[in-house]
Amino acid sequence: MSNEMLERILKGRRSQPQQLVEVLQDVQEAFGYVPQEAMTAVSRELGVPLIEVSRVAHFYKAFSLRPRGRHVVTVCMGTACHVRGAPRMLDQVKGELGIEPGQTTQDRMFTLERVNCLGACALGPVVVLDGEYHPKMTPNKLRELLASVYAAEKEVTHGS
Amino acid sequence: MQEHIALTIDGARIHAVKGASVLDTAMEYGICIPHLCHYPGLSDIGVCRLCIVENIVGGKSKVTTSCTLTVAEGMVVRTDTEKIRRLRRNIAELLVAKAPNSRAIQDIAVRCGVTNVRYPFQNDKCVLCGRCVRVCGEMWQAHALGFIGRGKDRRVGFPFDRKPDYCKTCNTCIDICPMTITPCIGPMKKGEERLCGGCEGQLTMTKNFTDSCVWCKLGEGFQCTRHVQMAGRP
Amino acid sequence: MGAKLKTFADLAAVRASAQARKTPATTVTMCCGTGCQASSSPRVAEALKSELASKGLVDSVAVRLTGCHGFCEQGPIMVIDPANILYCHVKPEDVPEIVGKTIRAGEVVERLLYTDPVSGKKITREGDIPFYRAQDRTLLGQNRWIDPSNIEDYIAIGGYSAAVKVLSGMSPEAIIEEIRKSGLRGRGGGGYPTGRKWEQCRAAGGDEKFVICNADEGDPGAYMDRSVLEGNPHAILEGMLIGSYAMGANQGYVYVRKEYPLAVKNTRKAIEQAREWGLLGENILGSGHSFDVEVARGAGAFVCGESTALMHSLEGKVGEPRPKDVHTVQDGLWHKPSCLNNVETWANVPLIINHGAAWFAAKGSNGSTGTKIFALTGRVKNTGLVEVSMGTPLRRIVYDIGGGAYDGVAIKAVQTGGPSGGCLPAAKFDLPVDFDTLAEAGSMVGSGGMVVMDEHTCMVDVAKYFLTFLQDESCGKCVPCKLGLERMLEILTDITEGRGRPEQIELLEDLGDTMAQACLCALGKTAPNPVLSTLHYFRDEYEAHINHKACPAGVCRALIRYAIDPSVCKGCGACLKACPHKAIRGRSKEPHTVDDTVCSRCGICKDVCNFDAISVC
Repeated sequence: MSNEMLERILKGRRSQPQQLVEVLQDVQEAFGYVPQEAMTAVSRELGVPLIEVSRVAHFYKAFSLRPRGRHVVTVCMGTACHVRGAPRMLDQVKGELGIEPGQTTQDRMFTLERVNCLGACALGPVVVLDGEYHPKMTPNKLRELLASVYAAEKEVTHGS
Repeated sequence: MQEHIALTIDGARIHAVKGASVLDTAMEYGICIPHLCHYPGLSDIGVCRLCIVENIVGGKSKVTTSCTLTVAEGMVVRTDTEKIRRLRRNIAELLVAKAPNSRAIQDIAVRCGVTNVRYPFQNDKCVLCGRCVRVCGEMWQAHALGFIGRGKDRRVGFPFDRKPDYCKTCNTCIDICPMTITPCIGPMKKGEERLCGGCEGQLTMTKNFTDSCVWCKLGEGFQCTRHVQMAGRP
Repeated sequence: MGAKLKTFADLAAVRASAQARKTPATTVTMCCGTGCQASSSPRVAEALKSELASKGLVDSVAVRLTGCHGFCEQGPIMVIDPANILYCHVKPEDVPEIVGKTIRAGEVVERLLYTDPVSGKKITREGDIPFYRAQDRTLLGQNRWIDPSNIEDYIAIGGYSAAVKVLSGMSPEAIIEEIRKSGLRGRGGGGYPTGRKWEQCRAAGGDEKFVICNADEGDPGAYMDRSVLEGNPHAILEGMLIGSYAMGANQGYVYVRKEYPLAVKNTRKAIEQAREWGLLGENILGSGHSFDVEVARGAGAFVCGESTALMHSLEGKVGEPRPKDVHTVQDGLWHKPSCLNNVETWANVPLIINHGAAWFAAKGSNGSTGTKIFALTGRVKNTGLVEVSMGTPLRRIVYDIGGGAYDGVAIKAVQTGGPSGGCLPAAKFDLPVDFDTLAEAGSMVGSGGMVVMDEHTCMVDVAKYFLTFLQDESCGKCVPCKLGLERMLEILTDITEGRGRPEQIELLEDLGDTMAQACLCALGKTAPNPVLSTLHYFRDEYEAHINHKACPAGVCRALIRYAIDPSVCKGCGACLKACPHKAIRGRSKEPHTVDDTVCSRCGICKDVCNFDAISVC
């Protein structure tokens, strides 16, 4: 965990407890999760009891307390996506990668998450991969999408 | 010199201290309102919802927790209506189904008129009343304990689940916890949980007076403040 | 741009010059809201720009990238003016043909035109499309003309003229009276009279007040606020500016949920530009009134849509609600008087000030005035955002605008109001959509989400879905919500897995009533609604699950089986390959079988079978 990065995030925020949520958002974005050391440093700098920092980090879904995989697959489980077959996306990922929402594959490749609505309801079921939205997904398309990520990684590791 | 204001609770005209809660005021005057998360000296958070009353405003009744309701001039409150009894009974039923292995919870269930439990029993050790968290933070200022997680994952714990070195080991959290005293019929093993009902006799005596304090044995369980005063205990 | 605007006259001059500016002969408008972006509209826009550049048309053709147009099912959408030609499902590969044929030669590319699902005919002009024609797109229609990253577009269509009207001569009382007379009611779900809320906030004492925009939009299936905020952020800023003047606030916050990164970005950009131009900040346009706005991001908690929880989140704490014996207009953010309103509510304010309360109140029925944007989604043909007058019959929205059943399967119900709302059966579709009518019928308008369900949807499963959602999102603080939701879900799970008992229905009703009265906040109080409304209108489905251990819609996994008909199966192996759980066995060209012990009942096999050999029983 980079101390410099953490220092940069905490700069100018000394004794400002009201910044807690924003600071943790920055930490999550910088490190991909909220490490314990970061929570301790935030507690000290902002002047918020450690238990309170921990409480906020656990409360909001945006914060991950464990490091995530290299690629994050988010399946939208909003009402519109649900009635258009979103549960099947979870079946597909579970069957292929063997993980449940919130878990990461053994090889640290994928983390599966579910979200309770992305606001792209007319185009459900929606799956987001690394921040990119994929509309009108089917289990088949999802299988192809996951396969393409594996293929892309292979290209990178084996040289172009 | 304390300012006083006048309000009506269950038809009785009460002189309350300005700024006091309806719960404290009622208890002071011998009007019994069951409660769990309330504890003298700690802030009131209104989470157990047992102390609910009807606050009659402009002809309409609003159900609200008396511990978070501050007294106001001319306020009209009813603590023991048919509606309140039913709601309280249902809440107490949920509690006893969740954590029957506590004398306080069993007493509350009987006091609130629970006679059968319609849910499968669980055997949880914590009802999230938050007394421990508040005493640690407000009284001792140690902030070693807190709520962690949301919804069904909500629990009480230490930061990173490790007792920090600033925990003073005062044990007040244990003393104040309503779960530490086992029911009169003894600790229940998993699968043997049930509604105790041992104090049913007490309830017969109080059944017609559920709104007024009769110094019932039931108050021991939820550490009723009035009971404590009357018994002369510290 | 150059110097800050210092007076009302400066702004008027900018507007005049923006309107007078010679526009190129042709304008191409492309929707770049999150929905169309998911369908790759930015790639189409890039392709368009480079094609125009390569053909030397950059000076004669303007490209405007806007927010959501509302017709999401058909995206990416491209509209070419002045001919008003609308193309849908546009792909980057289509661009050279569009530029060559339509832009240069004025010819229509037939295959890209919208096909009306009812008549089967192709429609050329945007204005002729029934989906749009049947709506009153007073608010959402503005998106069409605005590039959200360019404040001049907003000013050109009259933006900030309401603010000028207010700052240059209306008293706070007069402003609030106008809002009150308009009958505007909160568009976030509560439906509380906005004028009354503003008056209460104005009357609250103290030296500091706040105005807050609730853009948390947590209801799954609702995205109206996202589209207005992404596509027209200045409308909200102008509304908040007017409100701040009327109520005596100098600081505002727009709390946007984290799942809307484009809305966050566009609102921040709009604020930056407004500050540059002197429309936010100190002494706005010389009026003496100062007001500034900041964007705060949510962090993934539906409960933060509740006003007290939202304010706690703004204060850097967990988003847990507090009891509302004292309202937030008295004791809100940092314990100061705060007026919190929804995105759509704020956006309607400039319109009311400009056109007058009577104009707004002339639309609607039964105590609900003006227009409302609904997100029509689910099992209906035309999914998208629909803006209609309050009081429009539900049937009109679902059939005339929505195009009716998706897949030809009969529509059974419409769920409105998100997890706090209820389901209305087809028999009730003649009801006008307004706050009081829907509430009486056991549902609610809510924030505007409308999910259409058909015979393939199990209403018991829908109730269970909402309970699961609420249990996930509940803060867990109060006993009746935490324990009540758990027990309700336990019962619903029993019912959907074949262990239901008749007495559980009564228990659901009793527990639901208890939660509705005793819970600490609106999340808990309205949590029983989906269960109680489906019990009320679809009791037969509950009874089938309980008494016959059957799921009529074929959804509840524990009650169904998938089987392959050996007389129809060709042994092509498509299902075997598609099954993610490896539950299908069989040799090539021989009938395949489903291994019941492994099968998860997901139904993927049935979807891929080309011979209709797989059935649910």
